[in-house]
Amino acid sequence: MSGSEFNSKDHVMSVINHSVVVGHELPTVSRKYRLEDFKRGSEKTIHTDYEAAAKEGLPAPVAIGPQVAALTFRQMRLCFGMGWMVGGRHDLMFRKPVFVTDFCVARGVVTKTGREGNKLRVHCDVWIENQKKDKVIVGTASALIPVPDAGV
Amino acid sequence: MSSTRTRVLEDSQGSRAAFEDIQIGQSIGEMEWQITDDLIDLQCQLDQDFDPVFFPQGDGSRIAPPQITYRPPRWLFSRAYNVRGLFVRWESETFRAIEPNTTIKVTGSIVGKFIKKNREFVVYESEGKDDGGNLIFRTRRTHVLDFVERSAPREGVGIDSGIKPEKI
Repeated sequence: MSGSEFNSKDHVMSVINHSVVVGHELPTVSRKYRLEDFKRGSEKTIHTDYEAAAKEGLPAPVAIGPQVAALTFRQMRLCFGMGWMVGGRHDLMFRKPVFVTDFCVARGVVTKTGREGNKLRVHCDVWIENQKKDKVIVGTASALIPVPDAGV
Repeated sequence: MSSTRTRVLEDSQGSRAAFEDIQIGQSIGEMEWQITDDLIDLQCQLDQDFDPVFFPQGDGSRIAPPQITYRPPRWLFSRAYNVRGLFVRWESETFRAIEPNTTIKVTGSIVGKFIKKNREFVVYESEGKDDGGNLIFRTRRTHVLDFVERSAPREGVGIDSGIKPEKI
């Protein structure tokens, strides 16, 4: 195959297929954050500056929520490939502040599957724990996977 | 450094929006936003996700991580109201692959507000469409106006603001 014929979107890896069963645990994705991960130039924000955070009543700078939720998105991309990036849905609750040096782990489990057109939608409970095992983000996410007998 | 039990009254961008000022049904405006290769690079850097679908080999085409759509609705919300606060709920669906050089028209409106656990929350919805009018994403966001309870007085000047430079 020449480079010009190769379309990366058609070759996205995914680790879950249509034979997935309820109760299947998603592979974890983890990251140790640093204050520097949230800096944008020299701006002082609740994500980078202790005084700015204290002014808002926070005990310390907090992580940018979407950058933490990205662990779940990476997990879903890994599991479902293009079925996450087109057709993916999520509903996430940011329950507790994540501090800028926390270690976080994204976890998830398949809760339900159902046909949606010629694909299978896989529903998952997803959550992110900090180093204390507190569930700092909880919610649901779902993605589509091809069903071979549906001609896709 | 001890944290405060007051709510910030104002910051460098002006007075913080009050719960009473937020109008359900109000448009938060619209913006056109172009997805560039540089933006995709930056989003992947922030998320530390360098999958080949975002960085293909050879001449393969790339797409953006769906969460690249986080900021434009937040920018629109900030244009309408100066809210720092915290992001507490994120619902979203992606309908099409987000490719470089796509211009997305992002629109949105305030759809609700409520009080819970002595804090004030606002809900807004937003969607993005490409030049052809195809829906790219739809999202619903819930934001708490302050980390501190609403019974605390508003006073003083904050260092941070909800109004940011409109860049990733």
